[in-house]
Amino acid sequence: MPSRAGVVPEKIDSATPGLMPIEPLKDIPENVLTILDALPKMKSEFIKSGKSNIILKSDILFDLLSSASSTKAEEYIDTIMSIHEQVEFKKGRDIESIELNKASPDFNSWRLKRPQSMNPEREPGPISLGRYLGGGRSGIPTFANAPVALTPEDLIAGKVDVAILGAPLDMGSGWRDAIHGPRAMRMLRRGTGGHDVSTLINPSSVLNIVDYGNVAIDQLSTERSVQEVRSMVREIAETGAVPIIIGGDHSLEYPNVAAMADVYGKGKVAVVHFDAHLDTGRGRVHLLSHGQPIYRLMKEAHIRPEDYIQVGLRAHYSKSYYEWEKEIGMKYHTMAEVERRGWDAVMERVIKEATESTDYLYVSFDVDVLDPAFQPGTGTPVSGGLTMREAIPIIRRLCAETKLVGFDIVELAPALDSTYVSTLNANSLMFACMTGIAMHKKGITEKGYISELSSEHGQDDYYGDKK
Amino acid sequence: MSIKTYLPSPSLSLIVVSMTTILLSACASNLDNSVSSSIKLPPTDNVKLQLLNEAELAFLRDPKRLRWFNLTEEKVFNQLAQRDEQGVKQYVADMMTTMSAASFQEGQDSTSNINNGILEPLSNTADSTSIPLNIDAQGYNKSKIIQPAIFDKYKRTSGPINLQRYVNEQGGIPTFAGAPVAIRTEDLIAGQVEVAFVGVPLALGSGWRDSQHAPTVLRGMYGLGGYDIAGGVDPTLILSIADFGDIATSYLSTELNINHIREQVSAMIDAGTIPFIVGGDHSIMYSTVAAMSDSYGKTAFSVVQLDAHYNGTRGLDHYYSDAQSVSRLLEDQIIDPENLIQVGLRGPSQDKEALEWLRDTGVKYHTMVEVEEKGWDVIQNSTIAQAKNTESTFVSFDMSVLDPAYAPGAGRPIPGGISILQARSLVRRLCAETKIIGFELLDVAPYLDASYKTALNANYIMHACLTGIAMRKQGITGSNHLDPLAFPSN
Repeated sequence: MPSRAGVVPEKIDSATPGLMPIEPLKDIPENVLTILDALPKMKSEFIKSGKSNIILKSDILFDLLSSASSTKAEEYIDTIMSIHEQVEFKKGRDIESIELNKASPDFNSWRLKRPQSMNPEREPGPISLGRYLGGGRSGIPTFANAPVALTPEDLIAGKVDVAILGAPLDMGSGWRDAIHGPRAMRMLRRGTGGHDVSTLINPSSVLNIVDYGNVAIDQLSTERSVQEVRSMVREIAETGAVPIIIGGDHSLEYPNVAAMADVYGKGKVAVVHFDAHLDTGRGRVHLLSHGQPIYRLMKEAHIRPEDYIQVGLRAHYSKSYYEWEKEIGMKYHTMAEVERRGWDAVMERVIKEATESTDYLYVSFDVDVLDPAFQPGTGTPVSGGLTMREAIPIIRRLCAETKLVGFDIVELAPALDSTYVSTLNANSLMFACMTGIAMHKKGITEKGYISELSSEHGQDDYYGDKK
Repeated sequence: MSIKTYLPSPSLSLIVVSMTTILLSACASNLDNSVSSSIKLPPTDNVKLQLLNEAELAFLRDPKRLRWFNLTEEKVFNQLAQRDEQGVKQYVADMMTTMSAASFQEGQDSTSNINNGILEPLSNTADSTSIPLNIDAQGYNKSKIIQPAIFDKYKRTSGPINLQRYVNEQGGIPTFAGAPVAIRTEDLIAGQVEVAFVGVPLALGSGWRDSQHAPTVLRGMYGLGGYDIAGGVDPTLILSIADFGDIATSYLSTELNINHIREQVSAMIDAGTIPFIVGGDHSIMYSTVAAMSDSYGKTAFSVVQLDAHYNGTRGLDHYYSDAQSVSRLLEDQIIDPENLIQVGLRGPSQDKEALEWLRDTGVKYHTMVEVEEKGWDVIQNSTIAQAKNTESTFVSFDMSVLDPAYAPGAGRPIPGGISILQARSLVRRLCAETKIIGFELLDVAPYLDASYKTALNANYIMHACLTGIAMRKQGITGSNHLDPLAFPSN
């Protein structure tokens, strides 16, 4: 049964640690059973209930018990029970939430907006920061050298198609430096301007693009930051512009996609998620981290598992993660599928799934989907990933051939790459998507469109298909 | 001149309007004649202020509130000059509205986190006074539970385990100082370990966050073992040293780590060791110093903090972070301010307000300005003399105290710091001339340094303290003792 829009998927918690039913121990060997039955009932029942599994796997436990004296066996079980008492949440002893300092005079300061009346008066609209007619590569660095917009009124007045928002959230579990992703992409400039060779389209001339600045982040709490991110992404989308969010770590996918659901409706937006990692972590102490945005999105019914398409997976996740994705109906495309079927076949399948899913598409691009050869500057790199020649066409096509409503690039950590390569590739992927959005705006949405002019010289009929 | 000169004070509001005009024009004429170096005011007049009420005028009179917007009276007057009286009113009112929203607002947290009948636990977290955690998580405390010896697959007698295969092994399994490994406190006790290294990979600091990799990188770097020429001892020979592994950290919240680090460091003290804590960012200092205070008593020890940063920020929304480890220690009365000695302060976070707070609370601080003015020897002697006011010393060494030339891989680097020679000298002397109860080396961010430099210097800093502790064990505690063999011509 497919999930219904706006309804929490039925089997979402079938494998969530803490929410799954605890299975009683199975196949207890006869000699172990004899030892257990000789113990006080409370103790033997505790072990048989399966609660000890989190402390000691049953095969190890059986090994220990079968060679133990009855005193030793009881000591083992007492130890397990004592640890179990400590390990599970206990009301009154363990904290349920992290208290903040309500008395702080700066409790809200981190996200207070500067009043626009403090600036010289101006008409709403994007602010161009260039001094010279010719433009060029100097001056104040902005995303894609675009003018700056500060308010929704600026977006509306400027009929903005694409608003690029920096979201420097720096809490990922690996090497951290995603805080500097937005700054690095602004400062490099390269890779974001001019004509795309495959289509001969210049996104900056077709689209009204702006740099929407950064969203406020509380660098000590992912949880506190996401409300502000969601509201800023929603603010952009409500004007009709496509938000492009530059992270920041992958926790951002939660507020970004939730904002899409706020604007376009729950279960109305599909997601294509490029990543080396499944990011389907759940049942952990923190409700959100860069390893668990997807569970939270589905748990709150913002998206349906059927509309969730993953590409490039290869990090070392266990079988149970894939089994869960399969059970709830997600669509995953691992590097194993690429190895077996070839990239072109996988790409076509992904695009087909993305176009057939729902009316709207959101693309979340974790740069670690790329091989570290192309993207050393990321916090949790995994070898054996996509090349840029594979990534560029699929991004351009997804952004052209679907109704794209949002895009993010996350997990760029510039400190890990002393060269420009990681940042150039991130900029180039943003450019590929903006090319696609420009194609869509011009009505070029046919499958795999490539320019006749740029794709061959045409002085002869070498390929035998000259028109 | 203060802004009070120009703005009507509430009690004199009737007559000062004209006075304002006079004063403003007086200033304007000063400007014209270029005789005054005081604040240059743009031409403006009292009409602009006419619509402001008393609260708004008071706002403009308060340099603290202006500073919140990065404004001074001069900058404000410049802004007023560009606006008509309506614009001025709007400008001031908007700033006041913004600022009044800075603190927690009563009722701010009453918004519902149920949307369309579905619980969205994070949807109003920014408006809440707490950050919700998932109490359903299986094994809620599991990362902090220590595996009991009874479940060891292969039994062994307690004591540090030497991982070196060869008598003269270099390299092999990386441990701090090539020391044997102690897994549980029983191992520390059985081995009568004097110095136990422990890593605390917590990187939630306010600078570049890579200190979570410092313990691993320092284990893999040279410089922690062998003979020291200045001290004339080989501390790795004289002392019983162990690598106690890492303390578990939760990577998403400083708050969740505070108690566990404190307990683990306390356990290391109870086992009879001098803990050598390798961070991690400077928020760890709260837990380590609290552990010292728990075990030795609040007034028994001095804390010598070598750091570019005073870490005394107050009144923040979060209770724990690197920038407020010192203020939290003092507010929670874990140490007395007069037993805290800070060396190497510099950089913009040490502003007037910060320095006044340090001075007024009684913290002993030595800025780099003082170092430059008086010379390093004077500062060293003064620091050691101050530390000797108590029985023992805890050293909190933040890598940023070194100049970035010596430690580019510091999470919060600030130029104009001390040299490795200066640092090693002070650290060795502190560890020889006073009784060390603990040492921490914080905020090494390895990825910021493509060379070996920061890691090597970090290890040499810790080696200097090991040397001092070994000297003291040998009875060498005199002022600035240097081994005679270091000076052949004498």
